[in-house]
Amino acid sequence: MRRAIGLWTGLVVVMLYLPVLCGVLASLGQSRYFRFPVQQWSTAWWERTLSSIEIGILIRTSLAIAACVTVAAVVIGFVGALAFARYDWRGRRLYQKLLLLPIFFPQPVLGLALLLWFNALGAPLSWWTAVVAHLVWIVPVVTLVIAIQVYGFDPALEEAAADMGASRLMVLREVTLPLLWPGIWSGALFAFLLSWGNFPLSLYTTGADSTVPEWLYAKMVAGYTPMVPTLGTLATLAAAGALLLGGGLLALVRRVREAG
Amino acid sequence: MAEPILRLAGVGKTFGQLRAVDRLVLDVEEGEFLTIVGPSGSGKTTLLRMLAGLETPSEGDIVLRGRRINDLPPEKRPTCLVFQSLALFPHRTVGQNIEFPLKVRGVAAAERRRRAHELMAMVRLPADYYGKNVQKCSGGERQRVALARAFAYDPEILFFDEPLSAIDYKLRKTLEKELKDIHKETGKTFIYITHSLEEAMVMSDRIGVMHQGRLVQVGTPEDIYQRPRNLFVAAFMGEVNQIPVRRNGNGTWEGLDLAGHFRADATAERGHLVIRPELMRFVSARDAADNVVEGLLYNEYSLGSRLQYQIRVGEKVLVVERSRGDAFAGDPSAPVLVGWDVRDQLFLED
Repeated sequence: MRRAIGLWTGLVVVMLYLPVLCGVLASLGQSRYFRFPVQQWSTAWWERTLSSIEIGILIRTSLAIAACVTVAAVVIGFVGALAFARYDWRGRRLYQKLLLLPIFFPQPVLGLALLLWFNALGAPLSWWTAVVAHLVWIVPVVTLVIAIQVYGFDPALEEAAADMGASRLMVLREVTLPLLWPGIWSGALFAFLLSWGNFPLSLYTTGADSTVPEWLYAKMVAGYTPMVPTLGTLATLAAAGALLLGGGLLALVRRVREAG
Repeated sequence: MAEPILRLAGVGKTFGQLRAVDRLVLDVEEGEFLTIVGPSGSGKTTLLRMLAGLETPSEGDIVLRGRRINDLPPEKRPTCLVFQSLALFPHRTVGQNIEFPLKVRGVAAAERRRRAHELMAMVRLPADYYGKNVQKCSGGERQRVALARAFAYDPEILFFDEPLSAIDYKLRKTLEKELKDIHKETGKTFIYITHSLEEAMVMSDRIGVMHQGRLVQVGTPEDIYQRPRNLFVAAFMGEVNQIPVRRNGNGTWEGLDLAGHFRADATAERGHLVIRPELMRFVSARDAADNVVEGLLYNEYSLGSRLQYQIRVGEKVLVVERSRGDAFAGDPSAPVLVGWDVRDQLFLED
């Protein structure tokens, strides 16, 4: 029985990661077109990809969008999560429902709708408009992630701090933020990764700028080169790295705190 | 008389239609240990939250040393609340928790550390707990940390919101006595709320009994126990026998749910006789006590050092408590006589 479970688990993991492996294989062939099995191994496409100015710009644009989205989404999401889970106010239940709705909108429709709005408002399309578009979808997700942490937080802790003379700012700095930190950190990771990998919203709203997923799609449609799987693998590795780093840091802080 | 440290002048709080606290009038003396007791939902926590500044009164004034503090936020009040959950900061050590109010005030680290150790000694926490994670402390230790932290704030009045309710019986008894000692040592004013009368009796100088948002009676533990003002207080103070009575022409009172004529020192037409179980006794003759009824012994319980008997008299059940040395010795199947004297009963007018 244990063996069967182990086998099943292994199978699921392989199925999950096999496509990624395909990308790696496709990037390591010498030929211009993907053939399986690989005839001649080569790192030439990796070298070309890493030295390409165009791809450098793509990565920088994607990083810039993801960074801006992360900062803005965490700030808005943090405040939103307090309203979502900490305070009782009229209309809270409606707010909770309205907030979650954008997560379930089909993203291409949302992208198109935002494009129409930007045009109507006369906002010139660039990676900045993409930041706004990403926020529409990512802020609800981040709010939800942080709200889960807020639900496990005893409001009496804030009251106690205030009762012992702490100003609002001190309560925030000494009690609220340190206790909600794991949730905020997870929210930031979500924001970064969801923005980094987003295609449908970027497609409509980046204008002349281009992100990594957009370029990957464009090159798949016309003008395939093995730089596509190379960059794809690179982007996947970057995301995995960010996740590991984030998770590792979280675990480290937890351990330091508990050691006291 | 000295000016009260805290004065409640018609303090009330309404939530929608509900009057949680109903226009309380109360003076608290400097240095006293005042306990507010009442069942759940009697408004005592709301009262305490208003005093701490966590709720704003809907009416009336809270006056601290002659100054109205209704709108003063909690961080500006010289009072400190020990929460029911204790509200210790889980991400801080014992030392950091205790030093929190000092840190807020900008006290230097070395001085904070010195003061924290002083306070730990006062609440009987070992000095090596300074760097311990609060989440690893036991229930009793956490109580002590919370108390030390409240004292670090150096408040003029300390409020306690049933902090001992989650502690097991034996440890609770120890902590109650320690709290009373600390109250004496420091001379601070303590206002404590609880639903346990026993707790109130052990610690308090004065007890206020709250019921449905009102203070029904305020007095010393002795007062409350011996001279409850009404049936609610009498029943809240522990198990009592209540016999509703109506005056007869001949100067005695006739039981309404219990056949018999009773003697009492009273002038009212109707009322209740209230008799504590330990003041009732088994008698051998009708004239061996001022008031005697006849019933059947129908249950017997051991309360440890005491025995409790339930006596069925008609439709009613009376409760009698005797010490082990004075246990019921008669025939349990025959009718028994239960009696008590007029001086041991309380007559509460309706």
